[in-house]
Amino acid sequence: MARFHDLTVTDIKKTIRDAVVVTLRPENGAAADFDFTQGQYLTFRHDFDGEELRRSYSICAGKDDGVLQIGIKRVEGGAFSTWANEDLKIGDRLQAMPPMGGFFTELNSDNANHYLGFAGGSGITPVLSIIKTTLAREPKSSFTLVYANKGVNTIMFREEIEDLKNLYLGRFNVIHVLESDAQEIDLFTGLVTEEKCAQLFEHWIDIDSVDTAFICGPEPMMLGIASALRKAGLDDSQIKFELFASAQPGRLARKVVAKDAAKSANMTSAAITLDGATQTFDMPKDVTILDAALENAMDAPYACKAGVCSTCRCRVLEGEVEMVANHALEDYEVEKGYVLSCQSFPLTDRVIVDFDQ
Amino acid sequence: MNDQMKIEDYLAQGGVLTNPANVPPRYRAEVMKLMATFVDSELAGAAGFADIINQGPGIKERIAAAKIVLEKTDNADRVLRIMGEFGADTDRYANHHPWTARLGRDADIGASRSDHDMRLAVFNYPLQGWADAVVMNLLMGRAVGVQLAEFSLISYQPLADAFRKIAPIEARHAELAAEGIERLVVSEGAAPLQASVDYWWPRVSASFGSDSSAKFDTLKAMGIRRTANADLRQRWEAETAVILSDLGLKKG
Repeated sequence: MARFHDLTVTDIKKTIRDAVVVTLRPENGAAADFDFTQGQYLTFRHDFDGEELRRSYSICAGKDDGVLQIGIKRVEGGAFSTWANEDLKIGDRLQAMPPMGGFFTELNSDNANHYLGFAGGSGITPVLSIIKTTLAREPKSSFTLVYANKGVNTIMFREEIEDLKNLYLGRFNVIHVLESDAQEIDLFTGLVTEEKCAQLFEHWIDIDSVDTAFICGPEPMMLGIASALRKAGLDDSQIKFELFASAQPGRLARKVVAKDAAKSANMTSAAITLDGATQTFDMPKDVTILDAALENAMDAPYACKAGVCSTCRCRVLEGEVEMVANHALEDYEVEKGYVLSCQSFPLTDRVIVDFDQ
Repeated sequence: MNDQMKIEDYLAQGGVLTNPANVPPRYRAEVMKLMATFVDSELAGAAGFADIINQGPGIKERIAAAKIVLEKTDNADRVLRIMGEFGADTDRYANHHPWTARLGRDADIGASRSDHDMRLAVFNYPLQGWADAVVMNLLMGRAVGVQLAEFSLISYQPLADAFRKIAPIEARHAELAAEGIERLVVSEGAAPLQASVDYWWPRVSASFGSDSSAKFDTLKAMGIRRTANADLRQRWEAETAVILSDLGLKKG
């Protein structure tokens, strides 16, 4: 299991009004753990008023930049991104797990490939890392970037991208598509939809020469682009996705703990929710939540039944259970009421458990 | 570009998920089950085959069997690492069950799993000697090929990538088995091999699951499944029957 390491903020600067680029230095000899691959992300944890939040942010640095840098765009109502944009300063300590993610392809200096990248808004962060690394390490490859933004003033890394165009003249091509700012060419205004991609493939992008496509942006944009790419003849192994943070919830509500002491000796009234349906039944206190659900013909998920794999994870909304073994859930999950149902026995006379959360 | 959509709608429309941070809970559980089934089947398959290595009639056969054991273990590791990203304790997982454990040759368990691991039911039956192991490896290898073609399109991208890497390796295992059978037909005759085909055929066939799985629509909406069990089984039967007939055997 991955472990958290300390990182010191050595630089922090704004790229646009509501996004920062944070440079980090791993501490305590953890530098080797943070030897990332282009396109990977870091998962951070931070305590907000006693509640731990975890958020993942993509690395924007290239492999040859010699620094570890991430981009954080402020999300409306997002606790972590707001904090990073407003309160984070040089010298602060952050905690993150080593880089993860498979949003990359193997590079080889002999390759003469044509890569096509699509980025929506802050989805540029991992794509920028890929562009920088690829152009530096594959001298014969070229990269075309389609970069979607609301308007000119929300384009993250605008200057860096211009610099890259000059540095890799003829190998790096950028098409900015702006939702609300008009451009000389009509095609470059609006949203990047399936239709827009098809039009781009007609005159602007030689889709037949594309070896691999990278897409990072909000869900509807990714669907439209992927569909256009498939119709243009790319198969799924040639399309790499990274779904960025839009689906991450802002803050989790605290769980309500009703601590009623056990009254009846060995029976519990259990209400268990799975796939939107709730079943209520009485169960003995020496039976696990999982087994009770299975005995009541619920198709509850499980695999190892040994507290190791976490397939059977569920959330206790009311009442208390005792989890006799736990090798998979971390402290912050347990604090939020998550338990391994295969290892959990009810303690209170009533428990409410949800597999859908 | 702040337009958002529900992750369930995104998946139903063919969307792809890329890391544990934004998978919905029920999706997480179904992908974990699928991964556990694969890992347990590979570990149980490799463990069963390991016992057979020394029964190989020649050094080539023993090398082939050892390679299969190594690569199946390696394939289990690839998928177990993805389970680790979801929080599974991978070291403990690899040892939480005696993977060599088997039931009796005639145990009547249908497609049901044991209580303690998620291996496909077929991996609960013991192998009986070299020829039997090779036949099982051919039939199951072809079944794994059909299943991996399906799962290489799964909506969890890291797993789809892993299965795409694993598929050609597993395909090679079935080829090695076919080559082995070709030699065994000459040295031992077809009769004992046909007996093994007859034994394994219905058991491998059962590993495709029930034809009327109520779960299928849910899994399809999540992008975890595409093709119905019955269609996958049919493809396996048709492909494998041809291979057997080329080897002078017939399907069970």
